[in-house]
Amino acid sequence: MKTRILIIISLITLFMVDSFAQTGGNSLNINGYARNYTGVLLNEGNSLSILQNTLNLDFTHRGDKIAFKVNPYMDHYFDHTLEWGLREAYLDMYFDNFDLRVGKQQIIWGKAEGVFITDVVSPKDLSEFLLRDFDEIRMGVTSFKLNYYFGSSTLEAVWVPVFTPTLMPGEGSIWRPDMNFPAPPTFDFSTSTVKPTLDNSELFLRYSTMTPKFDLELVGGTFYYDDPALHLTKTIDSSTMQLAGLQVRPEYHRVNMAGGSVGLPLGPLVLRAEGAFYSGRYFQTQNPAYAESVLKKDNLHYMAGLDFNLAGIIMSAQFIQEYIIDHEAGMQKEKFENTMTFLARKDFFREKMWLELFSYVGLTNEDALIRPKITYAFADGFEVLKAPISFGRFGQFWPVQR
Amino acid sequence: MKKITCIAAFVLIAAFVTATSAYAQISGKQVIEKVYENPTGEDTQGELTMTLTNKQGEQRIRNLTQYIKNYGDVEKKIMFFMAPADVRGTAFMNWSYTDGRDDDQWIYLPALKRIKRISSDGKGDYFMGSDFTYDDLGDRHPDEDTHELLREETIDGYSCYVVGSTPKDEDYMYSKTITWVIKDSFIGLKREFYDDRGKLLKVLNIIKFNQIEGFWTILETKMSNVQKDHSTHMELSNIQINLGIPDRKFTERSMMLGE
Repeated sequence: MKTRILIIISLITLFMVDSFAQTGGNSLNINGYARNYTGVLLNEGNSLSILQNTLNLDFTHRGDKIAFKVNPYMDHYFDHTLEWGLREAYLDMYFDNFDLRVGKQQIIWGKAEGVFITDVVSPKDLSEFLLRDFDEIRMGVTSFKLNYYFGSSTLEAVWVPVFTPTLMPGEGSIWRPDMNFPAPPTFDFSTSTVKPTLDNSELFLRYSTMTPKFDLELVGGTFYYDDPALHLTKTIDSSTMQLAGLQVRPEYHRVNMAGGSVGLPLGPLVLRAEGAFYSGRYFQTQNPAYAESVLKKDNLHYMAGLDFNLAGIIMSAQFIQEYIIDHEAGMQKEKFENTMTFLARKDFFREKMWLELFSYVGLTNEDALIRPKITYAFADGFEVLKAPISFGRFGQFWPVQR
Repeated sequence: MKKITCIAAFVLIAAFVTATSAYAQISGKQVIEKVYENPTGEDTQGELTMTLTNKQGEQRIRNLTQYIKNYGDVEKKIMFFMAPADVRGTAFMNWSYTDGRDDDQWIYLPALKRIKRISSDGKGDYFMGSDFTYDDLGDRHPDEDTHELLREETIDGYSCYVVGSTPKDEDYMYSKTITWVIKDSFIGLKREFYDDRGKLLKVLNIIKFNQIEGFWTILETKMSNVQKDHSTHMELSNIQINLGIPDRKFTERSMMLGE
């Protein structure tokens, strides 16, 4: 069946290419890349953690009033089946003062880098943890996006009819988070999907402006939080009063969010700040007073960052804090959770070689991810990169190096 | 013999008087101001092709489209990167102010799908790996340097003023520049850039220029880094002046749509 579908897609593509070649010459642009990722776990007998071959294509057509983009991709692995899909597939309609984009699209908000505060429209693909490129870590969502322009400002409204959750690592993946339950769990998936109805659709709004003094975004949304709350039902053996069984029921809950971000130049520096207030998030707790081990709280998530250039090195530092309002004892997350990120990047040989160091330091749990990367462009469009990744006391990923 | 001596003396005096009067007519600063104030039209658009050549003779080509509009107190410029494929869709916007304050700069990277304000402190960085720094591509305000008319000279058949310019900011990337300016059109025909040790670093030569819509327009240049034996040939084509570029060209919408 899959083969048949692929053949059909190929035929459609050929038809489109032929069609535009006949009508518009270069109307259809095709960009893309082929890529190989090879990863080795240095601390686990040099076993291969990933051997991935990717084909990614962008088909775009731009007219005066309409445009479209289709971005199919295929990931081939040595140890499991071919994965393929559409990262984006949308149609644009242009009017004098507004645009409408309909279809599967990645929508990215905010000014923070590597963290998601007001960037809540596109869910995350964490199947490879944080190692995917940023354009791959955010999944496209089928949505309707209206942008209205006035002066140097934009008002954006997004309607997402169908909820898409975070994509977590699959069974057997080294990136799959450990679930430390007090007893062997049984899972109840009866509430693990959100029924695609009008009532369950998601709505997001954004106002943005660019001025000489600052750039500003104000955002808001009512949507399902991308990660499920795990509702636990414990069974106690009445004779021993010991935990005899545990049922885990994942459920997604609607939250409301309001926030904003700003970027402003301060002489040679650029200051970035972003913050959001979430109303109605569910958090896990070990307090037995709460049925199902979850409780509903509001929380704040914010960051401040600086970008600067030091002796030709592009540098960036961010401090991120997450705060649970009215925090209670027994909650799995701390009242304050602090994180810092650092990025340093420099090019050599006229942008033929790039050295980059990205680090992500969890101050609350004393964990870290360090990712140095060297990229060398043998020729335009052909790059080789080496990125040894180290984790320092990063939960279960502590011993992982690759 | 006495007659010859008298003639020589007369020639020398005449030359001195002529030179003195010429120097009295115009100063180095005035020459550079006239270059800076050369009318360019209210807006300009065109395609730019840069060919980068290293010392092994290997070439890399970058293509982009640029739009420039002068609002009097601010000049807005937006560039859309067309090739190579891995930078296609990238947009860079610069707002440059006549009052000397720092430029405002933004970049749109299609992979990140958002616009990022960037520090204008990187003016000394090389643009797309070429031999032009971001600052080389902009209009440096004459007040940022002190200027001295060094001599007059004819190069490539053009009679030129030769002006030495020393930056007031001691930390500027060049210790000095020397510019050859065509006398009758005030077009900078050649410029030498000296590094912080006072050694010749780069030479910019204007290869081709022409009048388009009545404005002198540079069409072809070559910047050679003599220390690295690397050069960049830049060619402008499909230039259109005063077409009336709409203000919306210099907005978030334009950057994200890539046009």
